Amino acid sequence: MLGLVKGLKYTLKNLTKEKVTYDYPNKPLPLPDRFRGIQKFYPEKCIVCNQCMNICPTDCINLTGKKHPDPTKKGKIIDTYDINFELCILCDLCTEVCPTEAIIMTNNFELAEYSRDMLFKNLEWLDENDENIRQVNKP
Amino acid sequence: MIRTEEMILNVGPQHPSTHGVFRLVVKIDGEIITEAKPVIGYLHRGTEKLAEDLQYTQIIPYTDRMDYLSSMTNNYILCHAVETMMGIEIPERADFLRVIAMELNRIASHLVAWGTYILDLGATSPFIYAFRDREMIINMLNELSGARLTFNYMRVGGVKWDAPEGWIEKVGSFVPYLRGQLIGYHQLVSGNEIFLDRVKGVGKYTKEEAIQYSLSGPNLRSTGVKWDLRKDEPYSIYNRFNFDVPTSEDGDCLARYHLRLQEIEESLKILEQAVEQFPGEGPIMAKVPKIIKAPKGEAFVRIESPRGEIGCYIYSDGKKEPYRLKFRRPSFYNLQILPKLLKGENIANMIAILGAVDIVLGEVDG
Amino acid sequence: MIEELLQSSPGWANFGIFFLLGAVLLLIVLGFVTYGILAERKVLGYMQLRHGPNQVGGKWGLLQTVADVLKLLLKEDIIPKAADRPLFIIAPVIAFAPSFMVLATMPFTDKFQFADIGVGLLYYIAVSGLTTFGMLLGGWASNNKYALLGGMRASAQMISYEIPLVMSVLGVILLTGSLNLNDMVEAQKHGWFIILQPIGFVVFFIASIAELNRTPFDLPESENELVAGYHVEYSGFRWAFFMLAEYVYLFAMSALITVVFLGGWLAPISFLDFIPGAVWFALKFSVVVFVYIWLRATLPRFRADKLMEFGWKVLLPIALANIFLTALIKSLFF
Repeated sequence: MLGLVKGLKYTLKNLTKEKVTYDYPNKPLPLPDRFRGIQKFYPEKCIVCNQCMNICPTDCINLTGKKHPDPTKKGKIIDTYDINFELCILCDLCTEVCPTEAIIMTNNFELAEYSRDMLFKNLEWLDENDENIRQVNKP
Repeated sequence: MIRTEEMILNVGPQHPSTHGVFRLVVKIDGEIITEAKPVIGYLHRGTEKLAEDLQYTQIIPYTDRMDYLSSMTNNYILCHAVETMMGIEIPERADFLRVIAMELNRIASHLVAWGTYILDLGATSPFIYAFRDREMIINMLNELSGARLTFNYMRVGGVKWDAPEGWIEKVGSFVPYLRGQLIGYHQLVSGNEIFLDRVKGVGKYTKEEAIQYSLSGPNLRSTGVKWDLRKDEPYSIYNRFNFDVPTSEDGDCLARYHLRLQEIEESLKILEQAVEQFPGEGPIMAKVPKIIKAPKGEAFVRIESPRGEIGCYIYSDGKKEPYRLKFRRPSFYNLQILPKLLKGENIANMIAILGAVDIVLGEVDG
Repeated sequence: MIEELLQSSPGWANFGIFFLLGAVLLLIVLGFVTYGILAERKVLGYMQLRHGPNQVGGKWGLLQTVADVLKLLLKEDIIPKAADRPLFIIAPVIAFAPSFMVLATMPFTDKFQFADIGVGLLYYIAVSGLTTFGMLLGGWASNNKYALLGGMRASAQMISYEIPLVMSVLGVILLTGSLNLNDMVEAQKHGWFIILQPIGFVVFFIASIAELNRTPFDLPESENELVAGYHVEYSGFRWAFFMLAEYVYLFAMSALITVVFLGGWLAPISFLDFIPGAVWFALKFSVVVFVYIWLRATLPRFRADKLMEFGWKVLLPIALANIFLTALIKSLFF
């Protein structure tokens, strides 16, 4: 019987304790800077090295480059850049290999959509995703 | 004339107490189980096959998703295997970060096991108390690695991130906090007569059976076998810390329940010492080539995950992808004793026994 | 007033008055169920460091249960193809009707009572036993294995716990010398039966939890073993009727405990008599409901075989010993 009483005492004590739940959809979740959310992409920084595409474990990144419009400059600039968020597991490897920090993580994580097609994010969308960007990208 | 007949009951794959998509086909006579057949594979994703086409770094996120309650140990086992093959020395600071992360994750995993086990037995509150404390660990690991469950924190040769400012102190202050909470846990559940009635002497097996079925972790130690790889085959820097391996002689569900709580206390000891000895400066990555290629050959390493011995076997033919990768997943092996244990028990005991085995379906199905 | 009505000759006017009063009581009970469920969720939430419902109806979630019930009303009515249709439909009604019937005899205050029958307590226990049929039939008619097991457990549990329940109040009946609930309250003028009959109270309380199918005796619907037990195939308003029956029983059982053991509408000390009896009743009643919720927040569930053992081997002998002891005390001191 004593064990039961002890347990009852414990729950009664918790009745007045401070609540531990988050008021989530009303207040945004406090997330650390390192949090891995939806990527932000800087088209102007990209040098089309294809490293992110190669490292991606789920093959969710597709990109194409084109010749630099300015004939005096060498190299390529980005033409299309798509991330398929049906597949993306936000593992951070693309941002880890990027030599110019053209792709970095943000703190945004809300990806719920009404249709699967909307999970297919293109260059413009990723460029506009410029809130809560991670400050420190390389360890 | 009254006629009785046996009935086949499908428990799962969608059932509140199977901890995932686990299916158990039981033949029952009234409420007594005469035969039980586990059906697994509902969460099979073919991690091992997928890994054959992936570079070693790319496999790490996949290991996160095997035992999703203790991703850190899974991260570690893969990195450890590759490092063993390549002969890489890990910097001290990285080793400390790894151990702290793994022990925090072990505590988190045992807290889930504790909470859900009591939930299986019908009490709802302990689950929330356990998750309150787990949430603090998850938040700390989130600060460290940038994710709450699928950490993807370790890399071949070290860890991805150094500890953020003040993080080590945070871990240090968490240790006494959780010690205080554990007393409350014992008050709430451990002495409860109804709970003791449910678990004492239930799901008993002997030392010999446990070894025959290749059980590991608390499932093995509950029979009195003192076997913990952190002590018996020290990997990483575990030989620097002073801790005990709790065992019990009873071999029943109650013993497993107590072992998990005691293991939390031992992990807290390790954390305390690790925080104390944490080196002030130093690199967190060893010198590794940009493209990791394991040399031709094979390696098998094993470590102690919260659920038991997790092993990783790699056969490499010198390319940047493994030729064959095999994980020894402790949940899968621990589950094999279930049909034997369930024979002759009733349905309420079935839940108690299954919960005490503490499986994670992501790991069972691979 | 009710006595007069009962004695007067039958007529449409009388029927109308009775119907109206019945409807008023139903509304009161539904009001209690609405806020009883809310209170349960709130208290459980607070004990579990959560807020509980706080979205619908302001910070306190005052309209949460209303919204839930509306949602249940709007749900599609699903009857499984393999179910026994007539039984499946009638089972929730059989489960609910007795729970409301038992309230007729409950004296809420010295004035507010519907039927002051001589065998009030017996009537309560006899009628409440009928609910088991509803659960058993529901479990059987669903043609679902989990539901069958749940129904089986429900009937086994209710039958074995009804006996200690009756036996434990026999002490009170001995001391009162009547089965009438009003007489019982009157008999507690000089001391509640919880003090005079502590053993009887504990046994009665434990058996009442089992009768109510609440934690730690919620085996018939144990979520973690049988998914939802006997009502696993029910949805929408049929399911709501099972739940309604459960909470009306919570109301009825708490009221019964208040009346039989806690002195009903009487004030604990005589100089507090100026506070109306209804307030005292409500206070005591709330405490009993709170204890039920509190137990639910703390305790794990019994195992079926241990439950039977506990009922027959522990509670019943204690209740019998209590009767013996009471008889002894009564013959010696009173």
